Amino acid sequence: MISPRFSPDIDRPLLLATLLLTVIGIAFVFSATSMPSAAAEHGLYLKQIAYLLLAILAGGLIAAVPYRIYEGKTSYLLYAVGLGLLVLTLFIGHVGLGAQRWLGWGPIKIQPSELAKVATVILLASQLADRKKDWTQIKNLVRPVLTAAVPCLLVLKQPDLGTAIAFVAILFTMLYWAGLPFLYLFFMITPIANVALSFFTPAWLVFLGLLAVILYRSRIRLLPLLLVVGVNLIVGIATPQIWNHLQPYQKQRITTFLDPGADAYGAGYQIIQSKIAIGSGQVFGKGFLHGTQKALAFLPEQHTDFIYSVVGEETGFLGAALVASLYLLLILRGIKVANRARNRFGGLLAIGMTSIFLYHVLVNIWMTVGLAPVTGLPLPLLSYGGSSLVASFLQVGLIQNVAMRWREY
Amino acid sequence: MRAEPIALGGWQRRERTLTIAVVGIFALVILRLFVLQVLEGSRYRELSEENRIRVEVLTAPRGEIRDRKGRLLADCVPSFTVTLDPFDKAYTRAPARLDSTLAALGPMLDVDPEMLRDKIQRERKISFLPIRLKRNVDIKSVAVVSEHRDQLPGVQVESEPLRRYPLGLMASHLLGYVGEISDKELAKPEYANYLSGDLMGRMGIERRYEDLLRGQDGKRFLEVNALGRKGDFLGEKHPVLPKRGTDLELTIDLDVQRAAEDAFEAGARGAVVAIDPRNGEVLALASKPNYDPNEFSTGITQERWNELSNGGNYPLFNRAIQAAYPPGSTLKPFTALAGLEAGAITAGTYFAQSCTGEYRFGSRVFGCWKHEGHGSLAIHGAIVQSCDVYFYQLGLRIGLERLADFMSKLELSGRTGIDLPQERRGLFPDQAWYDRRFGTGRWSRGIILNLAIGQGEVTLTPVKLVQLVAFIANGGTLWRPHLIRSIGSNGLPRSGAPDDSMKHVVAISDRSLSIVRDAMASVVSDPQGTGGQARVDSVTVAGKTGTAQNPHGKDHALFICFAPVESPRIAVAVLVENAGHGSTAAAPIARKVLQAFFHPAPPESAAVVARR
Repeated sequence: MISPRFSPDIDRPLLLATLLLTVIGIAFVFSATSMPSAAAEHGLYLKQIAYLLLAILAGGLIAAVPYRIYEGKTSYLLYAVGLGLLVLTLFIGHVGLGAQRWLGWGPIKIQPSELAKVATVILLASQLADRKKDWTQIKNLVRPVLTAAVPCLLVLKQPDLGTAIAFVAILFTMLYWAGLPFLYLFFMITPIANVALSFFTPAWLVFLGLLAVILYRSRIRLLPLLLVVGVNLIVGIATPQIWNHLQPYQKQRITTFLDPGADAYGAGYQIIQSKIAIGSGQVFGKGFLHGTQKALAFLPEQHTDFIYSVVGEETGFLGAALVASLYLLLILRGIKVANRARNRFGGLLAIGMTSIFLYHVLVNIWMTVGLAPVTGLPLPLLSYGGSSLVASFLQVGLIQNVAMRWREY
Repeated sequence: MRAEPIALGGWQRRERTLTIAVVGIFALVILRLFVLQVLEGSRYRELSEENRIRVEVLTAPRGEIRDRKGRLLADCVPSFTVTLDPFDKAYTRAPARLDSTLAALGPMLDVDPEMLRDKIQRERKISFLPIRLKRNVDIKSVAVVSEHRDQLPGVQVESEPLRRYPLGLMASHLLGYVGEISDKELAKPEYANYLSGDLMGRMGIERRYEDLLRGQDGKRFLEVNALGRKGDFLGEKHPVLPKRGTDLELTIDLDVQRAAEDAFEAGARGAVVAIDPRNGEVLALASKPNYDPNEFSTGITQERWNELSNGGNYPLFNRAIQAAYPPGSTLKPFTALAGLEAGAITAGTYFAQSCTGEYRFGSRVFGCWKHEGHGSLAIHGAIVQSCDVYFYQLGLRIGLERLADFMSKLELSGRTGIDLPQERRGLFPDQAWYDRRFGTGRWSRGIILNLAIGQGEVTLTPVKLVQLVAFIANGGTLWRPHLIRSIGSNGLPRSGAPDDSMKHVVAISDRSLSIVRDAMASVVSDPQGTGGQARVDSVTVAGKTGTAQNPHGKDHALFICFAPVESPRIAVAVLVENAGHGSTAAAPIARKVLQAFFHPAPPESAAVVARR
């Protein structure tokens, strides 16, 4: 298993950061559910400890087997299982907070999107590991883009916009690592930027001008050039037209979908309460278990999505910054491992797993400090929840797997 | 550009870029934490200890509803609502404090404290907003509550628009009412924009056009301390102002509506629907007995609700669209059309057997309503005098298949598609229906005799019946009855100009129609006709009476008509439950409706009544 004696190259800072964050997580799940008003949730930290044992087992197992075994056919098999679970969720899933995100057998409930992310990264790494392919050729990009797009759309259907965007973020990070020039990634994002800007004509014109200059300077081949220009033109012209022909209720549906906080009285209020909780922690915090904002029970999610506000309130700037630093450490070590790996699949695997952490940590923490909208993404390792914890340990396990075998080609 | 060859350590440049980006992003997080916790920390500490930020929902007034001449049917007036914030610091510190607050508040509002506690227990799980304890609180109670504010932490008196129906019982079924959203509905995704305690349209126009009428609630964040409001909290987003709901102008003519409702005797049950046969605009839609929708606006007690929904005469039931009755003889003009169109008869066809007051079919005897008999009649006379024996023979000659075929062209087994919720289907059975119902071949050919005179298994809603009358009046078009004339203050008119999606033209010969129309005119004008009670000064009226047998009691009385005969502008269907003959119980109601349409009372008096 991942005993340091057998694997001298195991990444110790990464291991330390993971375990520290997990222990902090259990402590604050306990704190966030300790108020008398949350009687129904008092035992949750015990369940989290049980999930942790399961997660350590899963992470250990996936780290023990040499990672090359996950390449090729196995990666497709894992991916198929992940997609199957997602499809199943759409049909027989449990509705939680207005979306079908859960799959259950009796008392056991899992969130398949957490596992689908890991499976998708493995398959993407396997596809992009092919160094014989020229990854600037559009036809070669079709397969990885589809690989990320299918689970992305399935999750979007639940609907869970935050997790859907995670697949896009993972894809882009891995394409970048695989050698796709930054400009290409920029061009791939332009249609999305185009949709957003097309409602504001001056900004749209500036954007088009900028795009034209960059396209001219980049001297890309004709076919990709035409594709970028064509897609952008179509999208830019069609979007306002389509929008204007929608019924008011259809428009409302879309704005509520894109920004659930815009209409719900809840979202703005949650952010304010979260900011008050974190801000009132000041430098040293109110002390463990002594938070007062959490007692308001303003959020049903304070032991899950908003656990960082409890950390900020009870341990102050010092504690909150320490936790943020531990995440920074974890992610930087992940990048290090990816860089060190001699095997291309290994490097891509490690960077993909790291990108899942990066995206979730940023979106969640930015949300709690009021820099991002409420999306309902958990904070990995800290938030209460078995699926998220097991998935996080699978990710760390795979990164360690690559770390231990970095010498192998 | 080509991908750079990736050899050992070939990721180094990318590693550095990515590392710098990640460190930068985390630096931003730390900076943000520094601003919140160190620079602004004392301010947030104060907010967390002394005060509380509360959301105040600014309820949007619902859109107004007016009749086609601009007379008010529903609006909003300001009212007081007493709310309680269960997350007030007083209660989060000491949950038992809530009991003493409710014990004191109950008598002031004249509500059982236990009921208030149940409401709070239920709603605090769903949202963190202040909970509405009582709507439409009178000014005296408001004064008492305000006086004792220091003993009632978290209690506020808020101003909210109250839905008002100035005419009370008038047009209640077509308007509908508003009521609080239920927990079951709240759990559904289509009600994601609703909060616990929100009002929503129930039944009628209020329900059907909820999306338009509701408007959009606003909100603002208030800073509240032990002494009450401290002021607006201008945080993330500025206060969002409520958007008033969209006004609707109905096709209803209040004069006609009032005439229809007043024409019923006290305690009578029935329905009247009047539409413009030229475009399907509903001029009046009444159902009796009715209810006062104002009762629901303030929240109705369970006992009163049970009384209204299940009590004796089912006043909440909209008999104009939710109830289907046998049409009786009002179906005869349509049976006649079927016969003429199928070529089974012409205007001059006499049947072998003249009416002797009864007709023998096999071993069974079918009676005519006139026991002494009508003698020998052709189609005109048979409609004018409503001779059953003629129609028995006509039914036999057309046959079930052709008759059912014709009726299905007129969509008798469908809905009209009127823009009101819960419309019921009519039914005109065909062979397949009887086979399913009784088993193949296990039903008598005699059923056609009953169907031909509108008895037996055929049932129609009053709104379907009026659509069919309009079909005869306008020369062959089935208009979808509709209630909206315009949306918004200068909104798009929804009718007037013919909207093809609302009309369905049925191929039928003018000759057949004019034979039936002539006969229906004689029903009212001919001394021998059964509809003399529907005559109106200076207007020619065409009509048909109906008396529908009904196994549960006295016959239902029906009357259908349109006027003026030369260029019809109104079609009416009247149904009175268990009232006996159509000619005496239903035709006079139609006359009052026509009277109000063609000779309305001077506008002054109408305005006086509206203000009442």
